[in-house]
Formats: sequence, structure tokens, C-alpha cells
Amino acid sequence: MSHAAAYDAPDLSDRSIIGTGLSATARLALLVGFVCLAVAVAIGWRSEDPGHVAKVWLQNWLFGLAIALGGLFFVFIQHLTHAGWSVAVRRPAEALMSNLLWLWAGFIPFVVLHLQGRLSIVWPWFDMAAIRSADPAEAALVEAKAGYLNPQFFFIRAAAYFVVWAALAFFFWRNSVAQDSDGSVARSSRMERVAAPATLLFGLSITFASVDWIMGLSPAWFSTIFGVYFFAGCCAAGFSALALVCLRLQAAGYLKGVITAEHYQDIGKLIFAFGIVFWAYIAFSQYMLIWYANIPEENTWYLARQLGEWKWVSAALLLGHFCIPFLFLISRWTKRYKVGLTIGAIWMLAFAWLDLYYLVHPHIPHGLGKHENYAALAAAHADESAHFGDPLNWLMLAGVLGLISGFTLMRLREHPLVCRRDPRLDESLHFHNI
Amino acid sequence: MSAIPRQDMGFVEAVDNTAETPGRRAPLVLNMTRFGEVTHQVARVNEAARPPLAWTVAFLISLALVGFLGFCITYLFFAGVGVWNLNNPIMWAFDITNFVFWVGIGHAGTLISAILFLFRQKWRTGINRFAEAMTIFAVICAGMFPGIHVGRVWLAYWLFPIPNSMEMWPQFRSPLLWDVFAVSTYFTVSLIFWYIGLVPDLATLRDRAKGTIRQLAYGLFSLGWRGSNRHWHRYEVAYLLLAALSTPLVLSVHSVVSFDFAVSQLPGWHTTIFPPYFVAGAIFSGFAMVTTLAIPARQLFGLKDLITLRHLDNMNKIILVTGCMVGYAYGMEFFIAWYSGAPYEKFAFMNRALGQYAWAYWIMVSCNVITPQLFWFKKVRTSIPLMFILCLAVNIGMWFERFVIIVSSLANDFLPSAWDKYQPTWVEIGTMFGSFGLFGMLFLLFCRWLPMVAIAEIKATMPQANPHWEGYAAHGAASGGATAHGAAHSPEGGAKS
Repeated sequence: MSHAAAYDAPDLSDRSIIGTGLSATARLALLVGFVCLAVAVAIGWRSEDPGHVAKVWLQNWLFGLAIALGGLFFVFIQHLTHAGWSVAVRRPAEALMSNLLWLWAGFIPFVVLHLQGRLSIVWPWFDMAAIRSADPAEAALVEAKAGYLNPQFFFIRAAAYFVVWAALAFFFWRNSVAQDSDGSVARSSRMERVAAPATLLFGLSITFASVDWIMGLSPAWFSTIFGVYFFAGCCAAGFSALALVCLRLQAAGYLKGVITAEHYQDIGKLIFAFGIVFWAYIAFSQYMLIWYANIPEENTWYLARQLGEWKWVSAALLLGHFCIPFLFLISRWTKRYKVGLTIGAIWMLAFAWLDLYYLVHPHIPHGLGKHENYAALAAAHADESAHFGDPLNWLMLAGVLGLISGFTLMRLREHPLVCRRDPRLDESLHFHNI
Repeated sequence: MSAIPRQDMGFVEAVDNTAETPGRRAPLVLNMTRFGEVTHQVARVNEAARPPLAWTVAFLISLALVGFLGFCITYLFFAGVGVWNLNNPIMWAFDITNFVFWVGIGHAGTLISAILFLFRQKWRTGINRFAEAMTIFAVICAGMFPGIHVGRVWLAYWLFPIPNSMEMWPQFRSPLLWDVFAVSTYFTVSLIFWYIGLVPDLATLRDRAKGTIRQLAYGLFSLGWRGSNRHWHRYEVAYLLLAALSTPLVLSVHSVVSFDFAVSQLPGWHTTIFPPYFVAGAIFSGFAMVTTLAIPARQLFGLKDLITLRHLDNMNKIILVTGCMVGYAYGMEFFIAWYSGAPYEKFAFMNRALGQYAWAYWIMVSCNVITPQLFWFKKVRTSIPLMFILCLAVNIGMWFERFVIIVSSLANDFLPSAWDKYQPTWVEIGTMFGSFGLFGMLFLLFCRWLPMVAIAEIKATMPQANPHWEGYAAHGAASGGATAHGAAHSPEGGAKS
């Protein structure tokens, strides 16, 4: 091609795209992950509040899931839209997505709790008798959902989600790495075809997973937008993690000239559009409508999130998940400058974690209506703690992040760091934002 | 463009461009190799001595409907809103249904020109111009309804917060007022966006114009455009900025429209998914309307090589995606109504499906969720008659969606003793059809006098516009219209060349 002189030829030598040197880091990350989890289990075992321990695990495990689901969404949406720009960064996203192959194991503690008959410490509706004695009015509402919220169906659904996610992750990973060796264009076409029904399966599975695992924590409460909210959170976590993996790989000397400022800018745009603005749009829609109508069936969920320390968490999300990163990442410069994007991505990952913290931990106190007014309610619950001081939070977070990064690097170590024979790779290497 | 001799251009064959081999981008402009041909193809519609017969017939029909619209509105003004069958508890029906319907139609244009621009979807250039025009006209039709439904129309200016001696202010906490701001902002930005995009093409028409009136008219509106580098640079910057400003507007307008309903406590109206659900529905109906009008327009005005089957295929895919989103929202509403355990919620949705407006509900579900599933099949997506029928169905279904939401929830709310039923009068039906006439008239005038396709923009999607296009080096080497960059080869090969 006569025009090639105009481009800097990227370094596609084995040294740049074969990640065998990642083994040591991967092993270290896995070790840190397992050790932190082991310590967390040892501490949690003796805890006087096993419900809290289980919820800390639920929240951190959901964080890992959100990263992997965000990776899955990134991968199939590129195939669905026949995207060219993203080929150079698709392999790291595929590696993040592949975590779905083991993340189902994080659900085992809940199965064990159920076998012990204690799962109501996480999802109260597992023990209807307790709800009935605490609050008969709420019990009537929860009983009406028994067709959906019952143990058998709950576990069948969970199994279905894990099968769908693992199958999709397996399919896209296998075809993509197989293309590295056979260069078959038909594989791209096949992935494009599967991406369309994958969108439906993904949308439905994450919706009902979020209803089951997060909305079900407050079984009387309901919101039709909830699945979309969780989806926005997955985008924030997944796209930020993708940016960080790419940045780390380049910092370690890989993918020189393959991933450029153009790709970083585009990943930054996706974080900005979906993780920041779309998330805020959905969060605002849910909050504003519930606040405005102010009916007691719904407003309890938000009341619980503005009592005691939780009001600071809510305010932190507004500022940290929207206002500050909006202003920070709106600039073209911060998205293209590696330090800028690193700060933005770490920030967003932290707030995606805090978002899940805010979704999982607060509980709606019984008898909210007994208080004369809001001031009395707020005073009665002024000492509501968000438990940030609990080391379990940080141990389990380190555990999940260690396992996610270890596994991601293990995957990247086994195969080229770029989809080297994807038919659209050339387009991706040469594209420019105007 | 005349600097490039014809024999040096690769000739794009009349191929089915709906198929795309990964690595080779399908051509978006067919059977044309010279930029001048594109200009001629589009401009000749505006330069023809007289319009096609079908245009004249359609225009006369639209004009008749506009006349009837004028009559219905005049009658309404003289007799009062009593001539509409609105009464407690059904205070909104055809008027607001039409308003929401038309605002929804007005979503495709800005989505195509702003969001698809940000997503670098080059195929948008074939359809963005007249989709944007439809946006403007649809918002005009939409804006009419709140204006005439207020009863005392001579006080309609009270919708705006105008300082006055009585210290009368609108209710700033009401989403009805937010609507005034949202829709008027959307209209203004869409109009500016559309006009900015038109300027280079208006200059083209000016330069080609024969006759003083045409020269003056196009000259006046092309604002002295000379196509210098500086002009183009500023144009591109302005376009990108307007795209970024319009993108949140695409979401905000219909979200605010959905707030009109969702902030209330009425079962069937108050549900948190309303904002994104309304936006998806608006894009769905807007794209269906664009396709409905693109099919006859490309036929009638000979634009098949610019608005190709690939464009229509892509449109149909977006209709399928947004149709699935709408279906998801219907499903979530039903599921959560049951899941909530709230008897009023449950009743509202069972009543929709089985109550006095069940016929409207099932029209809505059939047209919006069931039939669009046929778009999963490429044969359907690329068949002109089938897509025309399906898109018409979507238009009908989306009108009924708003009717179902508004009327069924109002007719049967909490207390059975307060229930009622609603039947439109001829004035309401006449006003609705009249608004279609107004839309049609504006659209037909646009087709006749303004370039229907973005001439300057579409040229940039042709392989000949790429400075690295191999046709410049290898004389006449046919590449099937695609750039050779994407040819399937290993990256090593790419690095070597």
C-alpha cells in the first residue's frame, strides 16, 4: 500500500504482543486475592453479625461481576455494530469478560447459607415468619411476590444467569483467540450474528439478576428502572477497568503503537457517556420520580439512604459519580493523556464500588411510619453507620480485585494481547478522532 | 473535483451493499464516482421546472387537510374545548396523545445527526437532512397541541414565565412548565443544527441557480458561504459542538414529556422506567416515520443511489433494537405492577390488557413489539414493501401507545364510581388528521425547495474522498468501492506495507 509511509507502523513483534512476561504479576495478584479473602473469611467467621459479613461479600462479588459484565457488554456491542476502532483494545476487554467463567463460584457461599437455612440474613424474604412478626403490613406485600421470590425459582434463575454469562463469555473468547491462529473472517461474521441475540440475553439476565440480588434485599420495594440502573453501573465499572488494563499493559511495555491516544480517548468517551452521564440520567430519573410522587410504597428505599451516615454516601455519589468526573473527563485532553485517564478510570471504578455499597448495605428500618415527621425519623436514626471502618470491606475488595486482575492477566498471558488477525485490525490501528 | 479525470476513478458497481465482509466497508453511495454526480443527483430535484405529479397530488391532499385543521381549530376557538369529548376524569386524550406522538416523531432527526455523528456512523449522511427536517416539522405539529388545548387560548402566553403586574407566574414545580422549556429548547437547537448543516448545500444551489429570484433566495440563506478552508474549519467545529449539545437534548425532551405523567401518583403513569422508555419509544417511532417517508421519497426523486438499501437496512435494525427496548419496558411495567403487590398497580395493567381499551392495548403490543420482530430476518429488513408495512404499523402502534397510557389510566383510576369512558368527536379526529396534513405539507415543501440529502457530507463518505484512496495511485483499479485499508490480512502484512 503506497500510503503506508504516512503512518507509524506499530510494533506487532512478539515482544510487544505476547504477554508471557505477565505470569509473575498474575501469580502475585492471585496470591494477594486469595490471602485477603482467606483473612476476610477468618475474621468474618467469628463475626457476631454474619448478615453483615455476607452482605460485604455480596457487594464486593457484585463489583467483580459488574466489571466482567461491563467487559462482556463492550465486546458484543463492538461486534453488533461492526466497530472498527475498538479491535486494538478488544482483547483486554475479552479477558475481563472471561472472569464470568469463574465468578459464579462467588455465589457458592449463598448456596451454603441456604443449605444451613440462614440465607434470610442476606435476603429477608427467605424467612417469611420473621417478616410477619416484625411487620405484618410488609409481610403482606412480600407474600404477594411469592410466585417470584421463592427459593427454588431464585436458585434456578441464578443458575440460568451464570450459564448465559459463561456461555457468552466462552463463545466470544474462544472465537476471538481462534482467529489469532486461523485468521478466519467467518469467525467475525459469526460473532456479529451471535451479538444480536446476546444483547437480548444480556439485557434480560442482568435486569433480573439485579432484581434478585439487589432489589430483593428490600423485598417490599420495587422500581421498574432498576435493571437499567445496574446496567449503567456495569458500564462504569467495566469500561474503567478496561481503560486501566490497557494503561497498565502499555506501562509494562506491551502494545506499543497498537493502542494509541485515539483508543484512550474513545474508551474515555464511553466511560463519560455511559458510566457518568447515562448513570446520572437513570439515577436522577429514579430518584426524582420517587421523590416527587412521594408514595410510601416507594420512598422508603430512599429514606433509608438518607439516614445517619448514608446521607453522606448519597451526596458523595452525586458528586463523585457524576459532578466531578463529568467536569474532569469532558475534556479531550484528560481522556488522551495517560495520567488523566488513569485518574479518571480509578476514580470511576472507586465510585462504581461505592454505588454498589450504597445499593447493598442500607436496610429499611421497620416502622418508618410511626414517626411524627421526617425530622423525628432522622433524629431516631441519626447514628445509622455505613461501616466504612470495617476492615472486611477492604479485605474483600482487595480479594475480589486480586482475583479479577490475576485471572485477567492469566488469560492475557496465554494469547496475543491484540486480536492480531481480526480483519478490522488495520482500521483500528489507523483511525483518528477528528 | 473536475481535476480528477473520470477514467481514474474506480467504478462502484450496482451491488447489493447490505452485505459487508468484515474488513471491507460496504459502499454507501452507489453508481456514482464523481462528486459532481452527487451534487447533480440531489440538486436536480430542486431545479426541476415542475415537481413530479405524485408530489402535486400529495401536496393538494396535505393542503386540504391543513384547511380542515384550520377549520377544526377555528371551531374549537369559537365554541371552546367542549367540542372535544374531554370531561372529568378524562381531561387529556387526543390532544396530548397527538402532542406526545409528534414530539416522539421529532426524535429521529436529532438522534441521526447528533448521536450517530458522535458514534461515527457514516451512513447517517444519506438520511440526516430530511430526518432533521422531519424533526422540525414534527415539533411544530407537537407544539400546536398544548397551545390549543388550554381552553382560553388568548392566555396561552401564560405558559411562559413573563413578568407581569399581577405577579402571576407559572408553577415552576410542574413538569408541564418544564415541557415548555424542553420542547422550545429542542426546537431551537434542532433548527440551528439543521440550518448550519444546510449552509454549504444552499451555497451549492445558489451557485447553480438560474434566475434572479432563486439566486437571491439561496444566496441570502447561504450567508456568503464560499467554501474556503476557514469556512469549513469553523463549520466542522460548530457541527461537533452542536452535536454534543443536541445529544443530551435527545434524551431530555422526551424524558421531560414522560415526567408529565410519571411524577403523578396515578397507577399506569407513575413508574420509574418512564424517562428512558419514552426516549426509546420516541426514537423507535421517529425512525419508523423516517423510513416510511424515505421509501417513497427515494423512489420519486431518484435518490436510490444515495439512500441505499443499506441505509434502510440499518434504519430497520435500529427500529428492531428500540422496539425491543419498548417491549422490555412494557414487560417491566407489567412485571413490577405484579411484583409491587399494590392492588391499584395490578389493576391498572390488567385493565389495560383486558379492560375497555384492550383493543387499543393489543394494537399497541402487536404493532410495537410483535411485528417488528420480523426485522430479525434480513429478507424482511431489505424488502421495501415489507418494511414499509412494518414501519406504518409502528407509526400506528406508537400513536396507540400514548393513547393507551393517557386514556386507560385516566378512565379507570382508584374509585370505580369516578370511572368513565371516552370517545373522540369529529373535531378531535379532524385535528389529528389535520396535523398529519400540516406535517405533510411542510415536508413536501422541503423536498421541493431544499436539498433532501446532505450533499457536502455524503461526499465525505465516498472512497474517493479519502486522500489515501488507492484509485489515485493505481489508475482505475476497481476495489468494489471499499477502501483497501480494510482488506483482510494479518497485521504483520499491514506493518510491512
